[in-house]
Amino acid sequence: MKKLLAVTACPTGVAHTYMAAESLIKAAKEKDIPLKVETRGAVGVENEFTEQEIAEAHAIIVAADTDVLESRFAGKPVVKVPVAQAIKNPAGLLDEALSRQASAPGDFAQQVEQSKAQRSSSRSGPYKHLMTGVSHMLPLVVAGGLLIALSFVFGIEAFKEEGTLAAALMQIGGGSAFALMVPILAGFIAFSIAEKPGLAPGLIGGMLASSIGAGFLGGILAGFLAGYTAFALKKYIKLPRNLEGLKPILLIPLLASAITGLLMIYVIGEPVKGIMDGLTSWLTGLGTTNAILLGLLLGAMMAFDMGGPVNKAAYTFAVGLLASDVYGPMAAVMAAGMTPPLGLWLATLIAKNKFTKEEKDAGKAASVLGISFITEGAIPFAAGDPFRVIPSIIAGSSVTGALSMAFGATLRAPHGGIFVLPIPNAVGHVALYALAIIIGTVVTAILLSLLKKPVEQRLS
Amino acid sequence: MNINALLDEKSIFIPMNASDKNSVISSMIDGLAASGSISNKEEYMNAVLTRESTGSTGIGFNVAIPHGKSKGVLKPGLAFAKLSAPTDWDSLDGQPVNIVFMIAVPEEAAGNEHLQILIALSRKLIDSDFRDKLMRIEHADQLKNLLAAI
Repeated sequence: MKKLLAVTACPTGVAHTYMAAESLIKAAKEKDIPLKVETRGAVGVENEFTEQEIAEAHAIIVAADTDVLESRFAGKPVVKVPVAQAIKNPAGLLDEALSRQASAPGDFAQQVEQSKAQRSSSRSGPYKHLMTGVSHMLPLVVAGGLLIALSFVFGIEAFKEEGTLAAALMQIGGGSAFALMVPILAGFIAFSIAEKPGLAPGLIGGMLASSIGAGFLGGILAGFLAGYTAFALKKYIKLPRNLEGLKPILLIPLLASAITGLLMIYVIGEPVKGIMDGLTSWLTGLGTTNAILLGLLLGAMMAFDMGGPVNKAAYTFAVGLLASDVYGPMAAVMAAGMTPPLGLWLATLIAKNKFTKEEKDAGKAASVLGISFITEGAIPFAAGDPFRVIPSIIAGSSVTGALSMAFGATLRAPHGGIFVLPIPNAVGHVALYALAIIIGTVVTAILLSLLKKPVEQRLS
Repeated sequence: MNINALLDEKSIFIPMNASDKNSVISSMIDGLAASGSISNKEEYMNAVLTRESTGSTGIGFNVAIPHGKSKGVLKPGLAFAKLSAPTDWDSLDGQPVNIVFMIAVPEEAAGNEHLQILIALSRKLIDSDFRDKLMRIEHADQLKNLLAAI
């Protein structure tokens, strides 16, 4: 039985919203169609849909003259009409909704893209600032990491010979791109907080974190420090109107840079350097047991919210460590981020009776997202059946993360999925690394096919 | 709480002799003002006419429900008119209107029980039995009895 949803809303919210709802309910009863109606009127939102209901719905009728958070329905067929239409012709609307086709697999990638965009626009506060910094840093890490890897094509020590191409590549990747990583991270965290006046103090703070040896942790602190300092100065310094122009160009950069810089050198730098050094030496000298535990943890975090804050915490940790020449966690994190969509794809192949036709089509798209390290590809599946899907993908990702760490796999680029595997020296222990990804994918798929219920049972 | 608490005798018009939509609206607003639900007739009238201009409130089946949310409204109120002659209201189904409910909602009113009652009335208007009974009403008492059953 196809289930329908409808949402009704009007500007005043006492009359049409509810008459439309009533008309639709009455028509659905006559036609014996399961229908739930959400009303958004003057008394607030009633009968609000759950994610599960949206996932299970065949189509959604939007009969509204105001905003009804339509982004919730991304990927679902939506019949959109003015609210009056639902009062005038409810039966016709129901017929039209029933005749709509479920989204094609082509829309699946779009759906994932939308949910990613929605997430980034809903980020706020410190998390948003950190992500702004990380996203500006990433291209430097990609370019730098891969150019360093290319320099190793000429031999692992080749760059030490001056004047060679290997030395040039190392100078570009290691000497320049990687050197900019932490300053750019700090600069754009501060930029996100205080806009333009925050950028200079942030870059300077990040540069200091780098030269002191406080690494990415120091850079993150410097960025927040510079950003909030600049923001406070912008807000609290009051100048006579004719001098106001001096504030953003002279006063804020000068004072915020001085404050951030002095704090970095005299207060924050040393202890954070100590933590970074400790972390780096612990990570480089990691015994097998601890390596596996770290891999398990990072893997579980990657799958836990598929691109959400927990996933990004693990990811940021691994990317930041690249600046300190620690490459193992990056490998574990990327592998673990690839297995959730890959595992779902494999599950749609081996457990055909447990997925609807639409899900099987979506599985094909998920496989492409998986090999590209877009963990969000698992979200549409997880949204529809969270308590079975999320544990399965966490298990698979943990196994992959742990194996990647145990095999000693390393990765010099922060992104790229399987497309970085053929680049010489980008991945250390590439064959074992691929094996780790395959095993995690299989684990995820097997768990899914055991846990998920057959389609007929689910719908009844 | 009963819907009749929102519907004062002064804002019940059975029958109403009016020639067109605008005069129906302004007569009913006078009634709502007389019953103390509206403090600023002009502001409320603007809200009602603005609502009409975004799409007629003639919901079809010979019923119209002009309504407005405005600072000119003191407390939620309801007015009722049974028109002596069918009047054009640009309705959804193109039919003229006999029965008019006017709803007044204050600007700041979220989630109170008055609104719930007006909402219940709106839902009830979709029920054809209820509408048939409305059409047959001749006295204010009959209206009150019918509405009390909501």
